Amino acid sequence: MKLEARDISFQYDNGNRRILNEVSLALTSKDRLGLLAPSGFGKTTFCKILAGYERPDSGQVLLDGRPLEGYRGYCPVQMIWQHPELSVNPRRKMKAVLAEGDRIPERVIRGLGIEPDWLGRYPGELSGGELQRFCIARALGERTRFLLADEISTMLDLVTQSQLWQFLLEEVKERQIGLLVVSHSEPLLKRLCTQTINLWEEQAHGRKDAAFAGEKWGNGS
Amino acid sequence: MMGPITQRRKGRLAQKLQLHNGIWGNRRKTAAVLGAVCFLVLAAVALAGWAWREEAAAVDFSRKNLAPCLRYPFGTDWMGRDMFVRTMTGLSLSIRLGALTAGISAVIALTLGLASAALGKWADGVIGFVIDMVLGIPHILLLVLVSCAAGKGFRGVLLGISLTHWTSLARLLRAEALQVKESQYVKIARRLGKGPWYVAKEHLAPHLLPQLAVGLVLLFPHAILHEASITFLGFGLPPEQPAIGVILSESMKYLAMGRWWLALFPGLLLVLIVLLFYAAGNGLSSLVDPGQAHE
Repeated sequence: MKLEARDISFQYDNGNRRILNEVSLALTSKDRLGLLAPSGFGKTTFCKILAGYERPDSGQVLLDGRPLEGYRGYCPVQMIWQHPELSVNPRRKMKAVLAEGDRIPERVIRGLGIEPDWLGRYPGELSGGELQRFCIARALGERTRFLLADEISTMLDLVTQSQLWQFLLEEVKERQIGLLVVSHSEPLLKRLCTQTINLWEEQAHGRKDAAFAGEKWGNGS
Repeated sequence: MMGPITQRRKGRLAQKLQLHNGIWGNRRKTAAVLGAVCFLVLAAVALAGWAWREEAAAVDFSRKNLAPCLRYPFGTDWMGRDMFVRTMTGLSLSIRLGALTAGISAVIALTLGLASAALGKWADGVIGFVIDMVLGIPHILLLVLVSCAAGKGFRGVLLGISLTHWTSLARLLRAEALQVKESQYVKIARRLGKGPWYVAKEHLAPHLLPQLAVGLVLLFPHAILHEASITFLGFGLPPEQPAIGVILSESMKYLAMGRWWLALFPGLLLVLIVLLFYAAGNGLSSLVDPGQAHE
């Protein structure tokens, strides 16, 4: 499958500057793409548009050539948010949070190190890192084809980070899920991704076609 | 040295900060027991007054104008009616009327609050305007107007109180519903393919139902006081009904003659009932939502 962003422009209603200016990008099921930019350059906004949370002011998001809005029901492009504590309803137990996903395989739950004991708890009774594992698991439902990871490991210690990414990497390779990783950490992106894009440079140079413009490292699948 | 007052302050602070320590469990238990006791007392008064409704009207001139004594703890009036029984019947009527009006008000509040949050900007604007309008008219004036228009009596009071008490709860529920609707977790649920019905049942209800329960209980004292006041002013229940408002307004004439018991005990008990409802509501609110202050 192929996820494509074509000339995406976006500006928030509060009258600030145009945060995304004709950004384009393409991602296939085999790609692992890193997205790098300083704070405030629209990384999260771009992910939100790609996952269908926001409509761009102009431009299009296409999934296999069809506009993403056309997909009803479960969205094959799932985003994992930066703040897990905002991504779960504080009044629902973790079991219900997991059930919201699309038949999460047992393998995913075990692979992420989710303890069975946590399922009966409320979000307030878990730490941020523990919550984030649930959010990742929830996004890895059966029908997920693309995964957008927006700074998902910033709140984790290094050991947990590496365990988590190791699992995610294997999972996306095995299931052929296209992965977009947003991070401030260039070394992390170098380890994970087949290629990387610097959103800041793209915007600064005003280049229209950002797709595959990033540096190739060639350590990929 | 830490006096008992500072310690209690600290306890309150801990409660505000949601510190889940040992004291917390005990506080929850205390709140639950207190709330349950309040509900039991109120239910008992409601039942007792209903059972005594015949006696409350019984006239016996051989015992008229008696000051409080062992046999008649609240004394008797100028027609020899037992004031204790009359007071209980009046309170029972108040509680039952309060339950009915608070219930209707809460349903109106929930419907409008949800509609306002769910139906989009236009509906929200209209409902917001209606809320502001009802809130803008002085409460007691609107109450009297509606009651008179509906022909006074039981129906007038019922309509009057039901139609004027839903506004603040509707606002509260609307704000809560909007907040949940715009939250990240609801947006995620939508992208996971969940429909509006799922969101309402699984995400909205756990936030709104506790608010509704607390709001409902805290509506009671308002409803009861307003029932008593418009009846006292003569726009509510008819004089033959032993309502607290009727008892209080009749006793005004006899106060100057030194029959203080006619007004004192019914008035005190009315205040007591209102306080009991407040205590029950606050207990419930600290149980269902410890961290949040209501209104």
